[in-house]
Parts: sequence; structure tokens; C-alpha cells
Amino acid sequence: MKKIIISIFTIVLFFSCKNEPQHLLKIEGKLLPITSEITSNKNIETFVKPYRERIEKEMSNILSYTPINLTREDGELESTLGNLMADMCYQEANPIFNKKTGKNIDFALFNFGGVRASIPKGNITMQHAFNLMPFENQLVVVELSSEKIKELITYLIHKKKAHPISKQVSLVYTNNGYNFKINGKPLNDSKTYFVLTSDYLQHGGDHMDFFKNPINLYKTDYKLRNAIIDYFKETDTIKVKLDGRIRTK
Amino acid sequence: MKRRNFIQKSTAATAFLTLGGFSLQSFTNKTTKHITILHTNDVHSHIDPFPKNHFKYPNKGGIARRATLVESIRKENPNTLLLDAGDIFQGTPYFNIYGGELEFKLMSMLKYDAATIGNHDFDNGIDGLYTQLPNAKFDFLSANYNFENTILDTHIKPYKIFNKDGIKIGVFGLGIELQGLVDSANYKETRYLNPIEIAQDISRILKEDELCDLIICLSHLGYHYKFDKIDDLELASKTKNIDLIIGGHTHTFLPKPTVTKNSIGENMLVNQVGCYGINLGRIDFYFDSDKKKASKGKSIIV
Repeated sequence: MKKIIISIFTIVLFFSCKNEPQHLLKIEGKLLPITSEITSNKNIETFVKPYRERIEKEMSNILSYTPINLTREDGELESTLGNLMADMCYQEANPIFNKKTGKNIDFALFNFGGVRASIPKGNITMQHAFNLMPFENQLVVVELSSEKIKELITYLIHKKKAHPISKQVSLVYTNNGYNFKINGKPLNDSKTYFVLTSDYLQHGGDHMDFFKNPINLYKTDYKLRNAIIDYFKETDTIKVKLDGRIRTK
Repeated sequence: MKRRNFIQKSTAATAFLTLGGFSLQSFTNKTTKHITILHTNDVHSHIDPFPKNHFKYPNKGGIARRATLVESIRKENPNTLLLDAGDIFQGTPYFNIYGGELEFKLMSMLKYDAATIGNHDFDNGIDGLYTQLPNAKFDFLSANYNFENTILDTHIKPYKIFNKDGIKIGVFGLGIELQGLVDSANYKETRYLNPIEIAQDISRILKEDELCDLIICLSHLGYHYKFDKIDDLELASKTKNIDLIIGGHTHTFLPKPTVTKNSIGENMLVNQVGCYGINLGRIDFYFDSDKKKASKGKSIIV
């Protein structure tokens, strides 16, 4: 009986402790770096292994070769990697667009933020293509009025970033104005223009609002990354340079 | 709240009287409680450590190492929660090829308790996220995304309450504005609601209705912007009752958690541990039922 009484009181005591209002007395915070000094958990390692092996096999495939380092940061208003990205997407997408519509794309424009990783000098592997374009974005063509092209130019001048743009474009600007040409010709107000970009940017990504309500929108069902991979596969050695397609005077 | 205090006092008094010899001192000592919060953000499908020759993060990160660290901390203190502030997806071919399956399965093996949704978690569309949900044995929390008209409806909770050693821990999630950041075809009819208003509401519910002892916000809003956009520091200054904001999105490597003031001038913490699983954040909370000790205020050591 005594035992029972004690245990009942223990339970009461236990619950009253539990319900005691808790006051926060002390907080300690710190950063724990994950370094090679921490041993890897074996279960996790074993679980990841088959996934990793399949990826490694696929990613180590050599697609092309670059004699120089390609980055998005080697120029001020253009970059080797940006120029390459815009030019290769144009080259791969234009035949598809032409076949569908009988028309040609005028130029390609993407965003600086979308160039996700550099490619060092040497062999270009599938891994590099994935690093450069990890996203699943599709290529689209927008038909724009010359007014929208002017908005696009203002955007480029205002942002002062090396946004990838293809070689059909030449934009030279000063504090007083700009000189814009497509395929060597100035902007024609009575003409519409076909611009290649990604579905992400067309939907207003990076505030490229001039892409939002085009006269016509053509979906290519062709992923940006696949265009890049296809171009690499077709090209033995990458040739690209800074050619001043966008510059200030 | 007053009534609750009163009842507890009288129960304690009864127990004390009946047991006689039991000293009050030993009773209060036993009620010190310790909660550990571990957290990651913006891991972006980084499962393996970076290569040894990586220019920025040589041989850093790796989920198998994180697993070891988490396991040892859980052994030291079983009253531990492991949380993630979003952008689990996108960044390595593991995501491109397996669609997030491996990320969720591994996080489940590490026994993550909850995560919020980052903008990149929509990268395979809302359907892509939905498809992977069965692989996650933890909850996704988001209070300011309204998924009513989407496939995620009823699958995402605004908040969850965890009970660890009698301490009620309320955790809620907040996401960033999706328009202009995520392709609208990917988030579909997800509606974004003002995170500050939602946080004010939810933190009140967690404190006053759910009587939580500890309130944590998992935020994918970003640490701080120089332009006009809601960030974690603003969120902290315009809300009360939140003890800790675990942030993400801006890939901010804070050397230590930021101590900042809430809307009523109380100190609280905002933390973010960079990205890619390079770091694990750790915050320890110590509670005591002794009012005298608490009246001196809480100390924050960072």
C-alpha cells in the first residue's frame, strides 16, 4: 500500500513538473562547419553509391574542348561564356524555328544570372553543361515590336551587366544616347523582331518585362541545356572571344 | 494564462506538503530543460562533398558527414530538432536526373523534422514537388503560400508543434514572393501572402492559443536586401514572440547568429548558414521553471 501511495505521488510530482511554466534562460548559437574531419556515415554512403555511379558515368562524357577559360566575368558588358551561350542557343534553335515558321530569329538574349558556372580550359564534359545550365528552362521565341526592342535596349543600358546576347547585335552607348544594330541594320519601326530567350525570362524573370506580352510566342519544346549539349557535341573546339557586341564609348 | 499558473502552483504545493521531506530546491533543479535546434538552408542538391581542388569550398560539405554530426548531437541531447529553410532542390545532376528523390530520401534518413519551401523547390513544377513528397518522411511548412487551388492543397501545413521533454516548440514556414522569380507555369495558382502579416498572426496563435514555449520561423525570404523587399531582419523587427528565424535564399554565411530586437524590443536570433550543406547551424535553448532565475532575463551567447 505504501508503495502505491508513493508511486501515485511520484506521478503527481512528475506531471506537475511537466506542466511547470518554462522560462527561457539561456540561448547559445554557433556554426558547425562540415569538414573532412567528420567521418562519413556508412549507411548514407552505401545508399548514395548507386545513384552516384550512374551520374558519374553520364557526367564524365567528353563533349568538346575549349582552349581558354570561359567565364561570365571576363568582360564588363559582355563575357566569353555569355557570348558563347547566346550564340550556341541561336545556332541550335534557329533551324528549328525556321522549319516551323519559315522565318529567322533576329537575335538571342538571356540573363547574366542564368550563367551558372564557369568552364575551365580543357575538355568540356557533360558535367560542365549541367553546371552551366542546371535549370530545366525551355527555349522560346518572342515576336516583339520595335518599341519593345527599345525597352530591351534601355534595360541593357540601365542594368550594366554582361547579359548574354548573340552576335547579330551591336550596341554602343554613351551618356547621350546609343547606336543599336541588328545584322548591321538600324532598328526599323515598321518591322517586328524575333528574339530567342528562355521561358523563365519570357514569364518576367529578372524583370525582363519587355518579353511578357509579345505579339506572338513560339515554344520550341527545346531545353536550353539540350541546345548547349547539342552544340558542344557538334563542335570539336570552341572558338569564342569578346568582340565588343555591347560596349560604351 | 494566470489560471494555469495558479493551478500549477497549488499542485506543486500539495505535492510538497504531502511528501514532506522532499526539498523544493531539488525539485526545481530537475526542471532545467535543454532543446537543441540544428538547421540547414539552400543545400541545392549538394549530396557529395565538394572536390578537393574546388576553388571556393575544397572538400567541404557532404550529407554523409552531416549525418554523423547530427547523430552525435542527437546522442548528446535527444531533445533535438533538425530543420531546413528551403531550396533543397536544384544545383547538381542528382536533381536533374532523379528529380529530388534522393534529396528527400536522404533527409528522411537524417530524420529531418520539418522544412519550408524555397523558390527552387518549384523547379520541376508544383507537380514535380508533389511527386517527390512521398519520399519525405518530414513535414513541409508554409504559412504564406496558399495552395488551395493547386495539387499541394492539404499537403503543406502552416505550422507544426513539436513536444520535446515537455517543451512545446512551434515551427512555421514562410516563402518568398514567386512572381518574377519562378516561372508562373511552375507555381501555377499558388498565392503568395504578405509574410509579415502572416507571421504576426501565426506567432500569436502559437504563443497564445497553442501555448508554445519556443517559436521558430523557417524563412526563405532572404537575410537582408538593400532595396525594398521583405527580408528576415525586417520580419524580426515587425513581429513578436518569435525566438529564432532560420533563414535562407540569400546564401548568407553568417559567422554567428545575429542578435536583433523584435517589435517590442526583446532580443531574438536570426541565423543563416550559407548554402550547399557546407555548414550546420546549432542553437541551444535552456529553460527553467524557476521564476526567480528567469526574472533576471535571458542570456544569449553567440
